[in-house]
Amino acid sequence: MKLKRMAKTFTVGAGLTVLFAFTQSKQSAENYRIKLPYKKAGLTERQAAAHLLSRFSFGARPGEVDEVLQIGLENWLEQQLKAAQPDSEVDRRLQGMDALQLSNETIANTYLTPAQVVRIAIKNKLIQKDSVFSADKKEYRDQLKMLMEKQGLKPFVELQTQLINQKIIRAAYSNNQLQEVMTDFWFNHFNVSLTKPQCQQFILTYERDAIRPNVFGDFKTMLVATAKHPAMLEYLDNSASVSMNNELAQRPARIQAQKKIEQAINASMADPNNAAAKGFVQQALNAKKVQGLNENYAREVMELHTLGVDGGYTQKDVTEVARALTGWSVTPLYRDGLEKKIIGKIGEDRMAKNGFVTEGDFFYRADKHDDSSKTILGKYFAPKGGYDEGMRVLDMLSSLPNTAKFVCKKIAVRFVSDQPSEELLKKMSDTYLKHHGNIKEVLLTLVSSVEFWKEDALREKIKSPFELAISTIRATNADIKMPMQIFNWCSRMGQRFYFYQAPTGFPDRAGYWINTGSLLNRMNFGLAFATGKIPGVSLDLLALNQHHEPESAEAALKIYSQILLPERDQEANIKRLTALINDNKVGEKIVAAANQTQPAIQETETDMMSQRAEQRQEKAMLSKKNKPINTPLLAGNNTTVANVTGVIIGSPEFQRK
Amino acid sequence: MVNRRAFMKSGALALFATGIAGGLPSFIAQAADSRKLWTPYKKNKIMVCIFQRGAMDGLMAVSPYADANLKTLRPGLYMSPSEKEGALFDLDGKFGLHPSLAAFQPFYKENRMAIVHGVGSPNNTRSHFDAQDYMEAGTPFNKGTSSGWLNRVAGLMGHDATPFRSVSLTNALPRSMYGDNESLAISNLQDFAIQMKSTPGVNNLTAKSFEELYDQTSSSLLNKTGKESFDAMKMLNVNNIKNYQPAKDVVYPTSALGNSLKQIAILIKMEVGLEIAFAESGGWDTHVNQGTTNGALGRNLKDFSDCIAAFWKDLASYQDDVTLMTMTEFGRTAHQNGTGGTDHGRASCLFVLGNDVKGGAVYQNIKSLAKEDLEDGRDLPVTTDFRSVFSGVANNHLKISDNKILFPDWNGTSLNLMRS
Repeated sequence: MKLKRMAKTFTVGAGLTVLFAFTQSKQSAENYRIKLPYKKAGLTERQAAAHLLSRFSFGARPGEVDEVLQIGLENWLEQQLKAAQPDSEVDRRLQGMDALQLSNETIANTYLTPAQVVRIAIKNKLIQKDSVFSADKKEYRDQLKMLMEKQGLKPFVELQTQLINQKIIRAAYSNNQLQEVMTDFWFNHFNVSLTKPQCQQFILTYERDAIRPNVFGDFKTMLVATAKHPAMLEYLDNSASVSMNNELAQRPARIQAQKKIEQAINASMADPNNAAAKGFVQQALNAKKVQGLNENYAREVMELHTLGVDGGYTQKDVTEVARALTGWSVTPLYRDGLEKKIIGKIGEDRMAKNGFVTEGDFFYRADKHDDSSKTILGKYFAPKGGYDEGMRVLDMLSSLPNTAKFVCKKIAVRFVSDQPSEELLKKMSDTYLKHHGNIKEVLLTLVSSVEFWKEDALREKIKSPFELAISTIRATNADIKMPMQIFNWCSRMGQRFYFYQAPTGFPDRAGYWINTGSLLNRMNFGLAFATGKIPGVSLDLLALNQHHEPESAEAALKIYSQILLPERDQEANIKRLTALINDNKVGEKIVAAANQTQPAIQETETDMMSQRAEQRQEKAMLSKKNKPINTPLLAGNNTTVANVTGVIIGSPEFQRK
Repeated sequence: MVNRRAFMKSGALALFATGIAGGLPSFIAQAADSRKLWTPYKKNKIMVCIFQRGAMDGLMAVSPYADANLKTLRPGLYMSPSEKEGALFDLDGKFGLHPSLAAFQPFYKENRMAIVHGVGSPNNTRSHFDAQDYMEAGTPFNKGTSSGWLNRVAGLMGHDATPFRSVSLTNALPRSMYGDNESLAISNLQDFAIQMKSTPGVNNLTAKSFEELYDQTSSSLLNKTGKESFDAMKMLNVNNIKNYQPAKDVVYPTSALGNSLKQIAILIKMEVGLEIAFAESGGWDTHVNQGTTNGALGRNLKDFSDCIAAFWKDLASYQDDVTLMTMTEFGRTAHQNGTGGTDHGRASCLFVLGNDVKGGAVYQNIKSLAKEDLEDGRDLPVTTDFRSVFSGVANNHLKISDNKILFPDWNGTSLNLMRS
């Protein structure tokens, strides 16, 4: 049976490529000299493969432990670190998501935030008699929809949906699992949030351009990429952090312009209906917003991204770093925006000559940079350091021992245990410093340590809600047609990903994820998933057992525990459940009841226009012809299998990774 | 409705403890064994917070009508107590309550409600996101504070808690409750069950199988939390929630806030150990045509006050235990804008309701709305730090004292608007 399953996997899709990659990487693995000391820790190769999958992927698919054994653990890891496995399944599922490759500029001018929509509505006199409050009326929505379609505009929620869907799809179906695991990890390390309107449009490209390509590279590369990305520049307000302490800002013409703005403010105060003046006021307010030093990014880049809270910096250092990064901002992206026009007028050559730097959507404004000298962490930076000064600061931060310690600890907590040993951390930080922050090298040091494989590290980590949901999809080979439903469940279980408001990102420890409410929701998720009550989830549980119906409930429990929890000690789990399963009427009752209930439509969102829109969209999807794409509950034993599976997914053992 | 205390009183506990009726939370059984009363069942003090997201126009909700500048600044939005229709309710000769807040009038007259005006944050950001973030974290100049102020309140309570000590009626945990102390975000209390939606017998069996599983797991965290989850589930009998009948003549508005407050009332009456509750209300960002008596703001104020009034009435004998406080991230411009609305400003006002509140007064240090008294020549300046109000209510009502922990980096004085 085992062999048969293997053969099947290899003929599916890119079978040849897998074999090819396998022979290829066997050689390069030797080049890397990866040694995985699992035997020293007392694990069999099979147990080690299962452990590797549970930490370095979003969970094993049925038969995947065998695949890894076949390829060889070292080779599998090598493949994963290269992240070049063909991904036809992901490609197929992402087809039709037309926003995934767009630029920030196209997105900013196409996927309008609720505030931008309101502005358009006002401009076109759609909102008149009433206020924004009527934005939820159907008549208004229809008119607005027509108007937006005519202009090729779309509501932001469509972009948000694609962002969320692609994450779920990649995590569940990508062959480059470690890349997705690391993308999730680093995104959380450099967290930005959909809750902040100023940065929400750029989060898709942030993950795509600043995070995913850099997850195995040098830490510094990723640090710089995040620092310069519009999402981070807006999220932590660095784009609003400016200084007038430079020659450009002190030119008489500038000062003149400033006066003009002040006059306009006064004019508009005298006559609130003066539209021209009002435009100026808005600009002035924006300008006002950007009239000083903003330390948010400078503080967090040290506290959360590099040195850590006890990393040995002072408030003075925060201010100095903020000064060094003044002028780091976003290229004007809005097509009809004034800034874009001004820059077009000045011309790139002239700006470059004055020290401005444009790099993709990153825009260094020499006229907003603080030109005097700084002293950061004891190091002197001479006056007029310009753009390069900020780069040197980031370079310095990324190479400090405290950064090595802080970053390595975070990695160890994610992959080993909530409390990794000092010894392991030392080994990892040494590697970090020796290899200039190369993340791949740090990961290799991690897996080359016995600590990673030790008995007490196995199953020590609790899955986050996202990990639980994705590992469930993978363990059951489920087909997810409406990823948003999975997102809603993750929210209920306590992880509304992309929406974590604070720059700390979600805390990575069991105690955060496991609380009274979330645990019940985990159990409910298992039951709802396996018994077909989550719309858009289609799964064939019998196929996991080669279409053999288990002879009894006990048999089902044994077989499916093996499939869903490979290489775990099943005995205790099975024993606990057997008593329940023996009551053969229970299964029938559960199913009878289950069939009577409608699939749960997501909970009600309260405020925020975008969330309402999201909900409407979701409901519209559900009300389409084919209604919920539901699991066809086959007659007979399959109902038992579904219930057994649901209980296993909700069980404590499945919460661990 | 039957609450857990009633069980204790009626002696039904004995029945439960012997297992005849089944489903007794294990810690009650323990408590019964050791003959000591489990703390959650002594009456708790409860603080209910409502966040008005979008920045409520404090100058219209509680209008300084006597200041002549207001009429000049807001020719289309000005209201006064002397109008024939839609007159303000005169609070103290200076300030008038918006007619849509009529449901608050009796509270004010009975001295149960205090209004604090000119409240806001020392950080002058006019971004909703940043201002909410700072207010909820309680550190107006530090984004990286990992905990929220309500979570720190929970930490300072200094006694054991049930899983329902700190509950937010939202579907994701609000920033105010981020942190190490267990907090529960739940948008619908009925979710608090193993959901097989079937006959009670089957439900119990599924729940029971899970309970046994979690009971025996080797991970102590899963074991402990599992136990608490099932205890909590038993405490919150879903049938009681489904069939909940508010007090006589109480009708909650069908809005999101009404629904949230109703569920908070249920938690309070069930005596499951609630001490800190959080709910949200949206739609306050009135840039366009906010209207006077019947506009967007008026409608929102009406829902807001009707919800709170229904909640208060529904609490009945529990009113003595509860203090309710509202908050919003900032106020709106003193002048109206060109589209009949108001833009992002600085200070706003908030309401505190409770039987221990020294009510019937508007607490404020506002100078005037003359241009030279406005911040940046346009906004009502912040004359009362939000932390002085929040800490004042938390200190007096919940008897917590360490404001250095509650609001780090803050040395101000708490506003004392409660009888302690």
